[in-house]
Amino acid sequence: MYKFLLCLKYLRTRYLAFVCIVSIMLGVATLIVVNSVMSGFSNKLKDRLRGVLADVIVETDNFSGFDLHPQLLEDRIRQSSAGKYVDTVAPTVEVVGTIQFNFRGMNVVKPIKLMGVDPAKQTKVGGFGQYLTRQKNSMHPSFELTPDALALFEKNVRLEAMAREPIPVAPPAEDFLGQGPKIVDDQSAIPLPPVPAPNLPQFEAPKPTGIIVGHSLAHFRYKNPETGQVEEVPGLRPGDHVMIATLAANEMRPVWGTYVVVDYFKSEMSEYDSQFIYMDLPDLQRLRKMDERVTHLQIKVTEDCPRGYSFVKPHVSNEIQKLFGKYEARAATWEDHQGPLLSAIDIERGILNLLLFLIVGVAGFSILAIFTMIVAEKIRDIGILKSLGASNRGVMGIFVWYAFLLGVVGCGAGTALGLGITCNINEIETFVNEQTGQQLFDRSVYYFDKIPTNVETTTVLIVNAGAMLVAIGSSFLPAWRAARLRPIQALRFE
Amino acid sequence: MLTAENLTKTYRRNADIVRVLNGVSLAVRDGEFMSIVGASGSGKSTLLHVLGTLDAPDSGTISLDGKRLDNLSNRERDAVRNRTFGYVFQFYHLLPELSAIDNALMPAYISNSFLGWMQTRRQWRRRADELFERVGLSHRKTHKPREMSGGEMQRCAIARALLQRPRVLLADEPTGNLDAEKGNEILELLHDLNRRDRVTIVMVTHNLEMAGTTHRTIRLAGGRVVEEKGPTFRPRLLSAAV
Repeated sequence: MYKFLLCLKYLRTRYLAFVCIVSIMLGVATLIVVNSVMSGFSNKLKDRLRGVLADVIVETDNFSGFDLHPQLLEDRIRQSSAGKYVDTVAPTVEVVGTIQFNFRGMNVVKPIKLMGVDPAKQTKVGGFGQYLTRQKNSMHPSFELTPDALALFEKNVRLEAMAREPIPVAPPAEDFLGQGPKIVDDQSAIPLPPVPAPNLPQFEAPKPTGIIVGHSLAHFRYKNPETGQVEEVPGLRPGDHVMIATLAANEMRPVWGTYVVVDYFKSEMSEYDSQFIYMDLPDLQRLRKMDERVTHLQIKVTEDCPRGYSFVKPHVSNEIQKLFGKYEARAATWEDHQGPLLSAIDIERGILNLLLFLIVGVAGFSILAIFTMIVAEKIRDIGILKSLGASNRGVMGIFVWYAFLLGVVGCGAGTALGLGITCNINEIETFVNEQTGQQLFDRSVYYFDKIPTNVETTTVLIVNAGAMLVAIGSSFLPAWRAARLRPIQALRFE
Repeated sequence: MLTAENLTKTYRRNADIVRVLNGVSLAVRDGEFMSIVGASGSGKSTLLHVLGTLDAPDSGTISLDGKRLDNLSNRERDAVRNRTFGYVFQFYHLLPELSAIDNALMPAYISNSFLGWMQTRRQWRRRADELFERVGLSHRKTHKPREMSGGEMQRCAIARALLQRPRVLLADEPTGNLDAEKGNEILELLHDLNRRDRVTIVMVTHNLEMAGTTHRTIRLAGGRVVEEKGPTFRPRLLSAAV
């Protein structure tokens, strides 16, 4: 009984208890915030790494694509043992190239990755429709121009056509004598018949072929020296035309064509947004003169297929690989494709956890120090209690229960603080930015609008359990030392 | 009857060995008020602590009604400290966080589990109220030690010592930290408890005048009993009076 009574009294009246609670609270709050932000970043990054990739990707190293027609390839896959897990097969052509366009008088040339896709199938496979800017989440995105974009395109073509015509020279207003001939309007003269105007064909802009351009490729980012903020200037607008060059499929020969921007692609993954250009599959096949061949097959597995690498890899990916020769094609899951980056995230997380563990260890030692101080402060009380018949276990129990209560209060407050900070981290960041003028989270680095967070209940529980263990564990040594004190030794202590 | 035979106790400080008790024997009869006097360092406080099992003797025996107290297990020793002896110290030794009544109830808090306390708390509170009435501290029950005077704190400590109805009250210079008036009041109270409630008291004091008011006085010097005065105590008369 006296253990609970004294614990509660000590908790309410000791300054050191407050220090201990704050120490635990800060530790728990820090761990929750760091873990939530790290998990948010990790999830977002994984989402983005997944980005445009389908569940399973079959690709060939042959520059001219698979030898078989994509429909035949699809049939072979569907008839294999992996067929029952296959929902959609989207054939694509992926090839490197360059883009060239004019931006404020500059001739801009950039390396690109050209993706020839079937928009409907690609949307079904995923990683396409949801990232489009204008046609966001459309089930049937197209490469058609909007009326506005078409009008801009026609205006651009007309302006360029005019720029190519020689500038007409105006006839001199006066002859060299300064007066010029005097023209007398003779009313009686017989008028000449009017000269028929040449029947020129109506001006018609060439029919544009649409492409979807990566957001970062179509926008230039500049840091405004006055505000210090990064600003985006559109270098390509829907309706602007560009020249795209790549290599023909059958021989090492450049091919090029003029295309018109119809939409942006914004996956928020810098690698994709700054390189990818999507065009209709037949357009790219025509440009590269590769008939109906494709270089990649993007496969979406069915809804009832168990998710996760451990199932998809052996039951789908490896089964599909068996259909092709060793050097003919490679079937891989999206995780295989992003292997190094995914392991980088895992390594990062592991190292962070190790560092956080050290922080927890440091917090544990501070609790140990505080408890040693509390015991030293309470030595006389220990002597009194022992002279009144308190057992060694009872005295030890006071301090262990005390640590437990401090842990409960500290963990409760820490969890509330941690969740509060996590939920309002963007507001806090804005406030700190306003107050200090320093940008804590540079959006230009990650292309995230907000600091991503993800509160995992399991993590919060583990952090709390760990903090409780550290609090109670750290109290054992001082509590044991307190319990071993002889009453007279303790009563004489001043 | 509390008896001690041939008690010895030495303290080591680095290489020095100080023999504080050097073969002390004594017997305290039930209902007796005995005082122990001696110069500083004569071993009187150590003798009191050893008698009350707060410290262990190097050799010799202590018994209460023939039962040895010096070789008890930890659990039995804790129970003896809780129920058999009541302690009053010179510096009161109250717990600063607790009110006067909670301090007085501490032996009951220690001897009861949470459930046991919930079942018996009324009778304990009644007992504490009686004792506060007895020591004249009813108006100070909810006060913290820092809000009380020295005399009041010592009365509170006496109430705490008596809560479990101990066989022997051991008082270590109970008036040593009080002025003469308050000291006399405390001595009066102890006499009154001894007289009316038949509480056996062993008091250590350096005040010979106070010691003279007790039934028997033993004087320690060099860790030995060098003089014994009394007894003036007549148990039969006392029991007849009660």
